[in-house]
Amino acid sequence: MSMAPLPMTVIAGYLGAGKTTLINRLLAEDHGLRLMVMVNDFGAINIDKALLASSDEDTLTLTNGCICCTMGADLFLAIGDALDRRPRPDHLIIEASGIADPGRIANAAIAEPDMSYGGIVTVVDGENFPMLDRDDLIAPQLRAQVAQADLVLMNRAGDGAAPLQERLAMLGDAPVLDAGSLQDMGRLLFGMAPPPRVGAPDAPHPAYVSWSYRGPKTLDHAAISARLETRPPGVFRMKGIINGTDGEAWEIQVVGKQTAIRKAHPGDATQLVALGLKSRLDPGEVETWWSDTPE
Amino acid sequence: MSEITVFEARKIVTMDPNRPEATHVAVRDGRILAVGDADCANQWGTVRHDRSLAGHILMPGFVEGHAHMMAGAIWQYAYAGYHDRVDPDGRLWPGLTDLDAVIDGLARYAAGLPEDQPLIAWGFDPIFLQGERLNKKHLDRISTERPVAVLFSNFHLMCVNSASLALAGYDAGTNVDGVIKGADGLPCGELQEMAAMFPIMRRLGIDFRSLTQREDAIRDYGRVSVRCGVTTVTDLFAEMTDEDVQALLRITGDASFPVRLAPALAAMGGTAADVAQRACALKTLSSEKLRLGAVKLMTDGSIQGWTARVKWPGYVGGQPNGLWNTAPDQIRALCHAMQEAGVQMHIHVNGDEASEVVIAALEDAMRAHPWPGNRHVLQHGQMMGADQFRRCAELGLAVNLFANHLWYFGDQHAALTIGEDRAQRMDACRAALDAGVVLAIHSDAPVTPMGPLFTAWCAANRQTMSGRVLGEAQKITAHEALHAITLGAAATLKMDSEIGSIETGKRADFAILGQDPTDVAPQQLKDVPVLGTVLDGRVHLV
Repeated sequence: MSMAPLPMTVIAGYLGAGKTTLINRLLAEDHGLRLMVMVNDFGAINIDKALLASSDEDTLTLTNGCICCTMGADLFLAIGDALDRRPRPDHLIIEASGIADPGRIANAAIAEPDMSYGGIVTVVDGENFPMLDRDDLIAPQLRAQVAQADLVLMNRAGDGAAPLQERLAMLGDAPVLDAGSLQDMGRLLFGMAPPPRVGAPDAPHPAYVSWSYRGPKTLDHAAISARLETRPPGVFRMKGIINGTDGEAWEIQVVGKQTAIRKAHPGDATQLVALGLKSRLDPGEVETWWSDTPE
Repeated sequence: MSEITVFEARKIVTMDPNRPEATHVAVRDGRILAVGDADCANQWGTVRHDRSLAGHILMPGFVEGHAHMMAGAIWQYAYAGYHDRVDPDGRLWPGLTDLDAVIDGLARYAAGLPEDQPLIAWGFDPIFLQGERLNKKHLDRISTERPVAVLFSNFHLMCVNSASLALAGYDAGTNVDGVIKGADGLPCGELQEMAAMFPIMRRLGIDFRSLTQREDAIRDYGRVSVRCGVTTVTDLFAEMTDEDVQALLRITGDASFPVRLAPALAAMGGTAADVAQRACALKTLSSEKLRLGAVKLMTDGSIQGWTARVKWPGYVGGQPNGLWNTAPDQIRALCHAMQEAGVQMHIHVNGDEASEVVIAALEDAMRAHPWPGNRHVLQHGQMMGADQFRRCAELGLAVNLFANHLWYFGDQHAALTIGEDRAQRMDACRAALDAGVVLAIHSDAPVTPMGPLFTAWCAANRQTMSGRVLGEAQKITAHEALHAITLGAAATLKMDSEIGSIETGKRADFAILGQDPTDVAPQQLKDVPVLGTVLDGRVHLV
């Protein structure tokens, strides 16, 4: 039996950075996915009663199909349980502990054939980060959380937003965004093609731009891998199936810094979609990058 | 009136200064009624004499204050370590001291396995082996069809054969941190850290949780304990689901279960207040043989993994300072919550910066919530010096030092981790006792084998694998070392009113020995034979 790989997103950030607030938003947001969210502090999950289908000591089930549960002492055991769950959720979200190295967790999604990498989102508290950044006890691990992120979200940045954004940009190469200003976050975090649902707005959100290709272009594995290396840096997500030159086909997935190429069934055409933040991505740049690819 | 049994021994070493030696101990209702000679219990009524142990030495049952349940069931897998080791059945597994021995040993083991079962081994440690590093080609010599996985002794790495790599889909195209590639661009078989090991563990059914909570795991742990004279054993870092607790109550409640178990709840998940509340709820479920209510906190990593948080001047190889597994802010929050709720903590601290942070957090918590009898235990405390022990004494903290490290890793610490000077004062038992701190010493089994007499030997001799003495000044006497594995360790569990010495009123928990540890040279402590234990007056021979 072959199932689609389960994408996993890791939410990192120090104590009080706003991870739970983000999770509360994602659970309630209208993204059309059955999320499974694993949290450290169950008590802090605050879901509108109207959205709650049932709840027990360590699991909340929402009317939109999402599930939120506590993680036991063994994170990887919990990931294994999520994979064994039937029906398998559409997307797994792990809330890392305040000090965790998110890369070590997210790496499991790259290693495990039944999973796919869904990115690392690091949440930073604007009020506390400048002080923590000067604390020798803790700063190296918190800086690493920022360095490993595919997306950095700032909370409560207030007047210090500009210097903080500058500092965070120095620590890594991920986009740094104000969490408050970001709407329809699921689109960015979970990919651009949620299953269509009746009544769901179809128009893309103005904060994002996308680019797509459908055509006869074929590339072999080596060419794809070389080409992905030079993709425009503003591409946050990209996925599709590229037909190979020898009857094979390759599924590609890009999330932030991470790329994956897996063998796929050839389709009648090569198809590719890319998504990024309007402030960082020019679709023309993607078009140039793609058309420069030798056929 | 219950029956009185008077056990005769060649000698009883009581660890009670009021009567250091005796020949007879009388037991009623699982407790010590009297200690002395053959007539010691006559004033209590009719006695039955039991001469079955008359040729042996009795000591108080040993107390292992820092070990893990996995030490029992890990023997479901083949042992591939460098040092000789004995399994719960008493079978000796000779150390595999070079790669050929590892391959031959595992091939013999595989021959006894059903065809469709993977070969899983544990305890391998390349730090002790010369020459080429273990790779898939070596393991392919065992089988190219049966999946083979060899777990390293630290459980952070493994090496697998080609069949296992294929199961996980690891090939030339794999680009995963921790999947190590050879010069040919193919995975060489070594997998580092959980994420890279996860697909293999999932497919081969390697499940650390089942190694700690299945009934046979719990019973194996009991058998491991009997073999080394332990009558009270901890399981430091237990998840303790309701289901786990029910199973533990049922199994330990069985009269034939040979050891008193003191698990400490893993302080993870939820808020500090949630953890404290859970610990308090667990405490009310305690039974005579299952002692609940304490918690275990993780702080830093390990010194030999360069993940312990150490003070200046850091690691000799220039490695970056280690990692916190629990953020200092969270450590402070947990210390406050436990101190407020009156929950005893066992706190993992390897590096001296970790112990410093914890002591400071406890000083602070104690100003807010005074609790003179807290007796929280700093576990490992490998780099603590006289200054920190003094503060522990002031605060009423106890320590449980990792004496076994001196022998297993002492040479490596001097050469590779913290350097000669600080290695000499590691696991500073002398300094702890001189500061007046309650002292226990431990094995951290399965990290090193459980065996309190060996642990006592380490603390008294401080000899490393290369044969040198690491830090003469920190040796303690054989008697002090024996105290640390009995009354000292009992005190760290707040059980010294019931166990740790052979004296009237305490539980009839004994170690049965073939030789008198107080009558051998300190160098011979580790060679004293253990013949079994007595728990609540019931004899368990190995």
